Amino acid sequence: MNLAVEEAIPRMVGEGKAPSTVRFWHNSNTIVIGCFQSAKLEVNMDACKETGTEIVRRFTGGGAVYHDSGNLNYAISLRKGHRLVPDQNLQSVFQRLSEGAVEGLRKLGVKAEFQPVNDIQVDGKKVSGAAGSIRWNSVFHHGCILVNSDLRILGKVLNVPRAKLEDRHVASVQKRVTTVRDELGRDITTREVRDAIVSGIESCYGVRVESGVLMKEEVGLAEELYQTKYSRLEWNLEP
Amino acid sequence: MERSADYKASGGKLVRIRLTEEAGQIRSVRITGDFFLIPEESIGKLEKMLEDTPLQEQEIRLLVDRFYRATQAQGAGVTPDDFVKALLATRGV
Repeated sequence: MNLAVEEAIPRMVGEGKAPSTVRFWHNSNTIVIGCFQSAKLEVNMDACKETGTEIVRRFTGGGAVYHDSGNLNYAISLRKGHRLVPDQNLQSVFQRLSEGAVEGLRKLGVKAEFQPVNDIQVDGKKVSGAAGSIRWNSVFHHGCILVNSDLRILGKVLNVPRAKLEDRHVASVQKRVTTVRDELGRDITTREVRDAIVSGIESCYGVRVESGVLMKEEVGLAEELYQTKYSRLEWNLEP
Repeated sequence: MERSADYKASGGKLVRIRLTEEAGQIRSVRITGDFFLIPEESIGKLEKMLEDTPLQEQEIRLLVDRFYRATQAQGAGVTPDDFVKALLATRGV
């Protein structure tokens, strides 16, 4: 259902029925694959069964990410033409809309930097990936921050192709990612990171973020998208 | 004949090609990977356009260029040249 909500919000923002929105959420054990990815190639199905990990496809491109309760996902939906993203260039959108999260992580003491195409890194290790799209008259950007995730499961359930690891001179996905907890050397909750990201977004973009709940129409659209798309094997696992 | 290639694009993204070739022509092709391309649905159009195309650089390059012009597609982490090279990489040369 979370991925259905993820699509419902930019659709409603694009129609002018919802305001510019920042959403925070997390999933229990789930692999979220990019819309162009092959589940069969990217995911270790046996390991998913063993660990009770679900597989869901999102509507944006990019690579597979592992979600657990130690992840913090954030999503920014803006109407097309918004002052923060005037040029409709996807690479620029990734950079601009990652800056709030980078600023938030820095406020916590993490030396985060945006790394093109779509990562936030600390000393060459990925702490957050991002993806996004420009469609439905909206600009959409979402990211997945590793706060205190279980990197051992991540290493098991994702098949990272050798070609992806070779240029980074590391032997496994586990060694090329890090968590906010590991960088700070202390326990930290996703709530604490969320508050820092909100603060980063506010100071970086000169906006005020107000908390709220989904509108009825957004919930209705998300339920419809869940039934017709995100709960279906043909969307999640094929090709 | 089934052919495949995993090609690392210049922008760091992976383009994975799985295709069926008959008599030097692409019969069907599936393009997957961790790249970005908008509009997202356009990848299906590229796959369709590639059917019955000779697996040769000149023809594929022309077709990929035509695809970008026709769809106004925009990529991140992948370029038109990367798609061409990924498709040609299935020849194993």
